[in-house]
Amino acid sequence: MADFTIEYPGTLAEALSFLDPDDPSVRPVGGGTALMLMMKSQMFHPTRLVCLSRLSEPMTGCREDGDHIRIGAMTTLSQVEHSALIAAEFPVIHNAMKNLANVRVRNVATIGGNLAHGDPHLDLPPIWAALGAEAIIHGPSGQRSVKVEDLFQGYYETDVADGELITEIRVPRLPGWRATYRKVTTRALHDWPAIGLTLAARFDGDRIADIRLVLSAAVDIPQRLRGAEEVLRGHRPDAMLLARAGDSAAAEAPMEHDSRGSVDYKVHLLKVHILRGMNEIGKG
Amino acid sequence: MTTRHISFTLNGRAVTASVQPHENLIDMLTTAFGLRGARESCGQGLCGCCTVHVDGQAVSGCLFLADMAEGTRIDTIEGLGGADGTLDPVQQAFIDAGAFQCGFCTPGFVMMVKTLLADDPDPSDDTIRHYLSGNLCRCSAYPEIVAATKLAARRIAAEGRP
Amino acid sequence: MSATKASHAIGQSIPRLESRDKVTGRTEYVHHFVLPGMLHGKILRSDRPHARIRAIDTAAAAALPGVFRVVTIDDIRTVIPHPYYGPAFHDQPILADGKVRFAGEPVAVVLATDRHIAQQALELIDVDYEELPFVENEIEALHSDVRVHDTLKPAATFPDLKHLKGVRDTNVALQYRLDRGDTEAAFASADHVFEHSFKAQPVMHTPMEPFVAVADMRDDRLTLHTSTQSPSFVRIEIARLLGWPENRVRVKVPHLGGGFGGKLYIKLEALVTALSMLARLPVKISLTMEEQFFMVTRHGCTFRIKSGVDKDGRLVARRCDIVWNGGAYADIGPRVTQKAGFTSAGPYDIDNLTIRSSAVYTNRPPAGALRGFGAPQTAWAYERHTDIIARELGIDPLDFRRRNLLRQDRPQATGTPMTDAALLPVLDRVAQLLDWKTPLVRSEDHILRGRGLAVGLKGITAPTTSVAIINLYADGSCGLYISTVDMGQGSDTVMAQIVAEELGLDPASIRVINPDTDVTPYDMATLGSRSTFHMGNAVRRAAADVRDKTAALAAALGLPEGHNVPPSELLRKKYGMQAGNIVGVGSFIPDYQKPDPATGQSQKATPFWGIGACGAEVEVDSETGHVTVTKLVSVGDIGTPINPRLVTAQLSGAAIMQLGFTMTEKMDFSDGQLTNGSLADYKIPGLLDIPVSFINEYVENTQGTGPFGAKGAGETSSIALSPAIGNAVSDAIGAEVTETPLTPETVFRAMQSASRADRS
Repeated sequence: MADFTIEYPGTLAEALSFLDPDDPSVRPVGGGTALMLMMKSQMFHPTRLVCLSRLSEPMTGCREDGDHIRIGAMTTLSQVEHSALIAAEFPVIHNAMKNLANVRVRNVATIGGNLAHGDPHLDLPPIWAALGAEAIIHGPSGQRSVKVEDLFQGYYETDVADGELITEIRVPRLPGWRATYRKVTTRALHDWPAIGLTLAARFDGDRIADIRLVLSAAVDIPQRLRGAEEVLRGHRPDAMLLARAGDSAAAEAPMEHDSRGSVDYKVHLLKVHILRGMNEIGKG
Repeated sequence: MTTRHISFTLNGRAVTASVQPHENLIDMLTTAFGLRGARESCGQGLCGCCTVHVDGQAVSGCLFLADMAEGTRIDTIEGLGGADGTLDPVQQAFIDAGAFQCGFCTPGFVMMVKTLLADDPDPSDDTIRHYLSGNLCRCSAYPEIVAATKLAARRIAAEGRP
Repeated sequence: MSATKASHAIGQSIPRLESRDKVTGRTEYVHHFVLPGMLHGKILRSDRPHARIRAIDTAAAAALPGVFRVVTIDDIRTVIPHPYYGPAFHDQPILADGKVRFAGEPVAVVLATDRHIAQQALELIDVDYEELPFVENEIEALHSDVRVHDTLKPAATFPDLKHLKGVRDTNVALQYRLDRGDTEAAFASADHVFEHSFKAQPVMHTPMEPFVAVADMRDDRLTLHTSTQSPSFVRIEIARLLGWPENRVRVKVPHLGGGFGGKLYIKLEALVTALSMLARLPVKISLTMEEQFFMVTRHGCTFRIKSGVDKDGRLVARRCDIVWNGGAYADIGPRVTQKAGFTSAGPYDIDNLTIRSSAVYTNRPPAGALRGFGAPQTAWAYERHTDIIARELGIDPLDFRRRNLLRQDRPQATGTPMTDAALLPVLDRVAQLLDWKTPLVRSEDHILRGRGLAVGLKGITAPTTSVAIINLYADGSCGLYISTVDMGQGSDTVMAQIVAEELGLDPASIRVINPDTDVTPYDMATLGSRSTFHMGNAVRRAAADVRDKTAALAAALGLPEGHNVPPSELLRKKYGMQAGNIVGVGSFIPDYQKPDPATGQSQKATPFWGIGACGAEVEVDSETGHVTVTKLVSVGDIGTPINPRLVTAQLSGAAIMQLGFTMTEKMDFSDGQLTNGSLADYKIPGLLDIPVSFINEYVENTQGTGPFGAKGAGETSSIALSPAIGNAVSDAIGAEVTETPLTPETVFRAMQSASRADRS
């Protein structure tokens, strides 16, 4: 194992000074669970790890900020799971936690690390995307923000450059919206999903006023299903319409065969769960 | 190889250790302190055989860089029970319910049940199943582990102590 | 010896002797074993399923600071000239020898003082391969031009394989045959004939303590500390490889973190022995969980089964053709092929039988023993087949089974009578627990409900020997010396209960000495539900020997019969102080009659019958095929329990393991490469997978030849569980499932093909 150093900056500025825009072997570390897995499987050989555990607000905690909720990147998944604010504002996030990894991982893994990892099988990134959240990113040239749905650029690739780090997630409060995340596992209850499907919608009477659908796990990045959204937006979600939305979703999201299922079967699951998910949030 | 000296509290005692950057908590606890209760099995944080407590929270020792233990409070299975050899109520309940076979995963389950009962002294079956769903026992003593958890909860409540 | 018994130890659910150590994390496993100066070995594995090795360049790895040495087969030959091993065939090289036969096969080892450095050095080894065509499927392997081995190399220890020596141009390692009656004539005259084909998938043991072994080679002796289930076999086989007498090889085994049939015969032991000889230092190899998948697996198989039934719904003929995917090395696969073969017609009274069971080499990781020796795979086929026949004949599946079941003392396929085999009671109890005669509420919304049951049997590996020594110390306390390995099943506790019962002692006071071949006597192995029966009988005889010797000592000291002087006093009288021992020895080998090689017939083919029945209720999602097992029932015939709680834990544990093999577990291969070799992608059961209603029971029975009426129980509920669930799923969806695991997609496809068939 090649030697490397671990730094513990006390401030954000110090943290950025330890990072290196020209060296992908220098990485920021949140809880380190995903990074440890990559190091153990010889997929990543660091020269320097910049551990963010000593940074404080705004990197930690969940708080209200006008019509947004802000979550510090170093907030652990457990802290989000047990946050009354999150449970009240985004029950879809709260509900996803129970079947996300396990207690030990949730105690250590962080919201920021979970996003920055870029793994398309994860549960939270597609939900953030469907909620219209944005990631606040700090780097050598200052601060910028990127919508979570635009953050992912490929399999394990994100828009966060070397030398940058995610400091916060900013999620709009969505009065009147209802959302659900369907983690569809096919090998065991406790598994990476064969497909992940997030549905978030606002209803106007029995019509869908607005909707966001995000598919994850079976595709390289969490992906908005805009065609299916278009089919649904403004209409009453009856079985025929949902079937059309399913066809559209299947056409716009090329999925991959793997040990969790064939392409045909995943397409079938996608259609079934668009229907079931809409029925779930349609009931209110 | 860069070696760093770290200080932390291990089972209630202040200790120091020299660690290399790539070492995880289990490497350090085994080599520097001879503690063998937490063991690496799957190596991916999925089986829970390596469960230890960091600042009162259960973590997978195999995915936790030893270097990050600086300044923390670490508790392991070896720290449970009284100095006179009395067992912790959770350990005793595991014996009385027959909640293990080969025993390799047992310390991990015991440490998980400790934090579960600290959070929820009277957990439902559903809560127990979800909380312990990230621990694997290939001998499959699962029904007995659920029974042991409930037995421990009842005894702790009856004795009025944590 | 005092005739009064201080306790009645048999039938008591005492806690395991080692309970405190297990809950405090102090149990001794080889996992943690270290010796001064010990080196760590890391294995470079083949990334090709079948290839010739042109060259291995180890220079860069050897030059890495901290690396002690890089070892290939050429180095190993300098210390072990004929480096091939195996329990049935001497076909497996200690490291790849000019050729690799599966992706994952060990090619080279890096030795270093730091395992991280050894790991890093692996990346610097360059192997030049010439790729060869490969064969993965067992049916293709029967006729493929690809030859996994050039010639067959049976081990001398199995006389019945001698005729295979030097056989060329085949991938079939062995074919087991059984013939009874005239099967073809009976098919011709049967009122109905049914034929189906079933498949079982390769799965793995995944013990939580991965394979690990330490070799400590000194000039003239070797000590192995290894997580093996078969210390006596390891000593014999390593001594054979070294050309040494057994007394220069010592094998020590503390507790095991699970075994399940994986840690049998030679696994890492030959490799660490050779490495320690080369390094002249102790060497340890600890596999990772991922590497375990390349060590040994459970056989996948294809089973074609054909039955003739008369107008009264009686089975009159059956033909079983089973092909077992043995992987690249035979391991104990030939014995699996024979043992599972001889019960593959199921627990039914059929006069005309033909069985052909073939062990086939493929370019896959080796397959061996796993909790049932093939019986669960065969029961998957014959009990699904039974349900399909019953449904097509319009007979209730329970009634059809009861009509055809082998009754007490009727001859099984081999001709061996079904003595002390509670087939009917276990089946009836399962039906009762399922409330079989009460109709199910069939479906609602998109949920389809179904119910199924199954019953099966298993023969026990025979003939095998166990030897036990009881050493009564001068104060009257005693130690039990046995080579049975306690890997979680609780054998230490059960054996202590037998000693306690026989000698009138408290079981918790018995010291059970862990296997150490310098100290503990021979035992064939801890496998196949044999220990309680074989070692239990040996321990009983050792205790009787202690009693006899104590009585002889008392007589020699001139004490009258019926005296009340305890053994410690007798020893004190003899030696004048607290000194001496009374050593009792017992050995056991069951009656056995070798099957006729042409017909497979034998009046005594098994020491006892393993008998289990299972039942299941399921809910199937009609839109996705997702199966939820809502109720799982397992009822075993375990004879009379010595420790009811431990035996129930065996039933429950085996049921959950088999639930994994039925629902979720499967080693996936693509182009000869394993694609899911880690617990992230190979899904073993966790707490959420356990059915809400989960019942494990045994029926009252007595194994006449067993210790206190007991028989083995480690595999009892493995046998019939898969088909019970499969039958429930087929009952729910109205379509037949024929292969495991019952993934949602597998079930969905079965539903789709059935509805297509309905439409056409």
